[in-house]
Amino acid sequence: MTATTEDIVGRGARDGGELFRNWYDGLTTAAAKNEKAAYVFVMGSLAEIVRTFDLHCVFPEINSLQTAVRHCSDEYLSLAEDHGFSPDVCGYVKADYALQLRGGEHPMGRIPPPSIAVQTNACNTYLKWSEIWERMYDIPVVTVDVPGSRSAPGTAVLSGESVERDRQYVLYQIKELISHLETLTGKKFDVDRLREVLRLTNRMGRAWRRVLELNRARPAVFDAMMEGTIYLGVANALRGTEEGAVYFENLVEEMEYKAEHSISPLVDHDKEHRLVFVGVPCYPIFRRFYQLFSEWGGVFVSSTYTWFASGGLNLDFEYDLENPVESLAEGVMLSVQRAGDSMLFHDKYLLDGIDEFGADGVVYHPIKSCRTVSTSLADSRRVVLAERDVLCLYIESDMMDKRVVSEAQLKNRIDAFFEGLESRRIRKATAGTAAAPGAEQSATTP
Amino acid sequence: MAYAAGVDVGSTQTKAIVVDEEGNIAGRALLPTGANVVQAAQHAFEEALSAGDVHEEDVGFVIGTGYGRYRVEFGDAQITEIVCHSRGAAHMFPETETVLDMGGQDTKAIRIRKGGDVIDFCMNDKCAAGTGRFLQSAAAALEMELSELGPAALRGQRPVKISTTCTVFAESEVLSWLARGKKMEDILLGVHRSISTRSIALLRRVGIEGEITFTGGVTKNDAMVAVLDEMLGTSLNVSDDSHYIGALGAALLALERMRGARVTADTGEVVA
Amino acid sequence: MSDAQRLPASDDFVRLMDLPFEGGLNEVLHECREILEDTDFPTVKKWREQGGKVMGHFQVYFPEELAHAAGILPVKIRGAPVDREIADSRFGSYMCSILRSSLEIAMTGRLEMDMFVTHPICDGARNLAGIWSRNRPEPAQILYLPQNPNSAFASTWLTQEYRRVLADLEAISGQVATDADLRASTEIFNKNRALLREVYQIKRETPWLLPIHEAYVLVALGGLVQREEHNELLEWVLPRIRERDARQQDKMRVVFEGGFCEQPPLDLLRAIAEFCYVVDDDLLIGLRWLLSDVPLEGDPVNSLAVAYLDDSSYSPVQHDLRKPKEKMLLARIRGAGAEAAIVSAAKMCEPGLDELVAYSQALDEAGTAYFVTEFEERMSSFDHLQIQLETFVENLLFN
Repeated sequence: MTATTEDIVGRGARDGGELFRNWYDGLTTAAAKNEKAAYVFVMGSLAEIVRTFDLHCVFPEINSLQTAVRHCSDEYLSLAEDHGFSPDVCGYVKADYALQLRGGEHPMGRIPPPSIAVQTNACNTYLKWSEIWERMYDIPVVTVDVPGSRSAPGTAVLSGESVERDRQYVLYQIKELISHLETLTGKKFDVDRLREVLRLTNRMGRAWRRVLELNRARPAVFDAMMEGTIYLGVANALRGTEEGAVYFENLVEEMEYKAEHSISPLVDHDKEHRLVFVGVPCYPIFRRFYQLFSEWGGVFVSSTYTWFASGGLNLDFEYDLENPVESLAEGVMLSVQRAGDSMLFHDKYLLDGIDEFGADGVVYHPIKSCRTVSTSLADSRRVVLAERDVLCLYIESDMMDKRVVSEAQLKNRIDAFFEGLESRRIRKATAGTAAAPGAEQSATTP
Repeated sequence: MAYAAGVDVGSTQTKAIVVDEEGNIAGRALLPTGANVVQAAQHAFEEALSAGDVHEEDVGFVIGTGYGRYRVEFGDAQITEIVCHSRGAAHMFPETETVLDMGGQDTKAIRIRKGGDVIDFCMNDKCAAGTGRFLQSAAAALEMELSELGPAALRGQRPVKISTTCTVFAESEVLSWLARGKKMEDILLGVHRSISTRSIALLRRVGIEGEITFTGGVTKNDAMVAVLDEMLGTSLNVSDDSHYIGALGAALLALERMRGARVTADTGEVVA
Repeated sequence: MSDAQRLPASDDFVRLMDLPFEGGLNEVLHECREILEDTDFPTVKKWREQGGKVMGHFQVYFPEELAHAAGILPVKIRGAPVDREIADSRFGSYMCSILRSSLEIAMTGRLEMDMFVTHPICDGARNLAGIWSRNRPEPAQILYLPQNPNSAFASTWLTQEYRRVLADLEAISGQVATDADLRASTEIFNKNRALLREVYQIKRETPWLLPIHEAYVLVALGGLVQREEHNELLEWVLPRIRERDARQQDKMRVVFEGGFCEQPPLDLLRAIAEFCYVVDDDLLIGLRWLLSDVPLEGDPVNSLAVAYLDDSSYSPVQHDLRKPKEKMLLARIRGAGAEAAIVSAAKMCEPGLDELVAYSQALDEAGTAYFVTEFEERMSSFDHLQIQLETFVENLLFN
C-alpha cells in the first residue's frame, strides 16, 4: 500500500491526537466505574510493571499540562493557591491538587483518583506530590529510589562498581513494588505478561530512536518542541501497548517519507534556522510560542525534553526478554540516571546534540515551576557559548502559569535572537564568498 | 541626498533620528509616548524631519524599534532595540564591546562585536529591581523629583543596605530607614548601589568585555554613572545623547537596508 | 603518610577558635557570634593554614564522622548573607538564596575547600553539583541519601554509598580511615549530639536561660570547627547557662519549623525571641539528625547508615513513610510543651513551601495555633514580620 502525501504527512499529529482522546475516554470510563488506577510519572516510568497488573495508568503530569494547553490552567492553579500553595511551586502539582478537589473533573474528561502511587526520585517534586495523595486518599506510595550520576562526567572519582550496586538496589525495590502491586490487586505477578509488555516497549523505543535521528536531515522533518510534545505524550501514555508500538512504527514511515521528499514542518520558509530546545515548552501559549519561532524559519531539530521525558526510550537500550525483571530494573536505572544527566549534567549531551544535528542556536527555556530542569540553564548557556559558535537565547516563563508568561517580552527576545541568527548567516555567507553581492535582506516580521 | 530614519518607541518616551547618506545626524526629536503610540511615532518622526529640514519623500527607509516598534505604521521594518542599541552604541563609541541599557521599564546587558553585532544579551524586564523603576519608587517614597535623586545620592557618605528584592517593598524600606534616622542622601546612595549591583549581575551573565557603554534614560543620573564606575572598577562610556542611541542605531540600520550594503561604524565606509 | 599528618588523638585536637574563656559566659557567647557571622570563615582558614584538608557538605545532613575519620574538617555549607557578585549569573530566577550564596562564598575565595558534596534533598540542590563543577576546581559530587528508606535493601545500599564517599575522602586527605578511626570519630560525634540534646533540653525546660539566637550560635559553630573543640565549648558553656541569672518571662512557647536548609538571619530569630520562647525547632537539623548514640560495635559505616535511616529526625526533604511530616511536627510541638508553631519556609524553597500546606491543614485539624511566614537569608528588615508576630501573640493571649 503506497501512502499519498496527504495520508502520510501529519499523520503522526492526527493519530496522536486521536489516541490521546481515546486514552482519556478510557480514563473517564474507569473513573465512572470506580476502577483502580495507578498514578505514575513520566520520568522513570514504571508503566510496564503497572500494566502487567491491569491497572489503569494515570500520568498526572500529562493531565496538568493538558489544562494549560486547553487554556484553563489558571482556574486549577487559583484553586490550589486558595488552599495554601505558593505561587512559586510547581504548577503541575497545583493543577493536580485542584483536579483532585474537583473530583477528577478535567477538560479531557474525568480522571480517576489513585489507588496507588508509583514513583522514582527522578524529580524530587514527585516525592512531595505523592505525599499529597497519601494524605488525601490514604493510599500506598511506592518509591523506587534510583541513585543518579554522582557528578559531571569526567569529574567523577567513582569506580564502575557503583553502577552494579545501584542496579542491585533498584532491582530489590522493583521486587518490593511487585509485592505491593500483588497485595493491592490480589493478582499474582505474571512474568510472561511483563515480557510481552517489554517486547512492545522495545519496538516503541527502536522506532522512537529512528524518528529522533531522522531530524538530522536537512530540512528537518519535525519540530522537536511542538510535534515532539505530541509524540512524547503518546510515548508515555501508551508505553508498552500494541497501539503505541504501531503508532511509532507509522511515525518512522512518515518521517522517512518526509526526509526523502525534503518536506519540512516550516511552510513559509525555504531556509531553516536549526535550533535545540532546552527545557519544557510554554504550554499556556503553546501554539503561539511555537509560531514565535516558526515565523522566523526557526525549527527545533532536537529538544532535551525528548530525552528526559521519554522514559529512557531515547537511549540505546532494549529490554532483555529472557530476564524481564532484572532487565526492567536496569532499564529503569538507566533511564532515570540519564534523565537526571540530561537535566543536571547535560553539557556534553548538549554539545554533542548541537554537532550531530547541525544546530545554529540553542533556546533555553527555564520555567518557574521546574527547578530540576531550570536551575542549571544559565550556567550551561555560558559553557555552550564558550564552546560552540552558536547563538543562545535565554527566555524564562512557565509551563503552566500564564501570569508569568508575557508574550510581548518573549517576542522581543526571540526577535532579537533571530536578528542575530540572520546576521550570523549573512556574515558566514559573506566570509565564504570573495565578493559578496548585496547583503541578503532578512525578512521583516509579518 | 537620501536620508534614513529610526524611530524608537519606548514605554515613556519616543525618539526619532534622521541620518544622511554618510550616517550623520540630520535631525532628532524626543517626545513623551503617551497613550497613543501610533501618533507618538508619527509626531516624533515629523519633528525630527522638520528639525533637520528634511522632506519625508527624501527618506528612503525607516526602521521602528522599541516596545512599540510594530506601531510605527510608516516603518519599512522593525528591529528589536537590543540590536538597535548595540549598533548605536558602537557608532558613538567604536571600541564598545559591552552595552548596559537602563531604561524606565527594563535593563539590558548586551555583549557585542566591535561594530555592533550582538553576541549575547540578557534582559531584566520582569522585575523592577535593577531598573529605573526602582528609582521612581524611591522618589515617590521620598516625595522628590526623579532628577533630584542623583545629586542627592552623590552627597551620600555611608550608603545603607537595601535588602528588599521587590520594588513594591522598596518604598516601605526607604521610609523605614528614614524612620530609623538614616540620612536621605545615604539612603539614596544605597538605592543606587542596589540597582547597580543588580545591573552588574545582569552584565555578568553576558560577560563583561572591553569598553562598556551605558545607554538609556538613566544615563542622565550622575550618581548612577558614578556608582557603576566605582563598582565595575572602570569608566563607562556615557554620552549626552545616550537616550537617542536606540533611534540612532535604527537609523543606521535603515541606512544599510536602503543601500543594501553594510556601513562600518567607525569610518562610515560603505563595504559591499 | 607521616604520623604528623594524622588526626590528633581526642584530647589533643586543633583549636580553631580563640575564645576568651577567662572573660566569662557573655564574652564567650559574643565571640562565638562574631565567628559564626564572619563570612570569611576564619576557623576554616586557620585549619587550612596548618595544612589541613576541608570538605564542604551542603544541607541537610552529611555523615561527618566519615570526613573526621579521614582527617578532614567537615564544614557545613549553609549559605551566607553576602552580596552575590558572581554567583547570581550562574542561576536563573525562582531559586532560593542558599544555592547562590553557597556558590558565592566558594567563588569569591571566602571559603576554600578540597571537596564539595551535595545531596538530593531537592531539585535545586541536585543541580548544585553540576554548577559547582563548572565553576570550581575542587571535585563536586552528590551523596545519594536514599529517598526510599523504607526499602529493606536501603541500609545495605547506603552502607556501600557511604563507603564510596569515604574512599573519595581518603583520596583527598591521603589518609585511610580504619574501622577503629571511624569508631573513635563516631564516639566524638555521639558526645557532640548528646551535648546538643542538652542545649535543646535547656531551651525546652528553662528557655529564659538561653534565647533562641544564642542557642543557634552554639549549635551552628559545630559545623565550622572540629567536633572535639565544639564539645569542649559546649561542656564549658552549658553549666554556666544553667547558672545564669535570668528571669522567667511570660512569653509564648513556640516551635519554629522551616530552618532545615536555608537559614533565617540571626536578627530574625532575635525578633521572634522578643515575643516568644522557641522551645524547639528544626534549625540546622542536619547537625542533630541522629537522635541517639550510634552503636560502636560492628561495622561502623553500617552503624551510621542504619542510624541515618532508622534513628533520625525528620524534614520536608526526606521522604519516609514512617515519618509523615505533619505528624512529626505535632509530636514535636507536644513533646516540647509548645503552645503554638511558627511554620516558615525560605523563599522559593519548593519542599518547604509545599510542606506548609500540609502543616497548616494538620495544625488546623489539631486546633493548634500557628503563624506562617517566609524568610530569606539576606533579609535585614523585619518590621512586617514583627507586626504580624506581635498581632499573632496578642491574639492568642487575649483569646
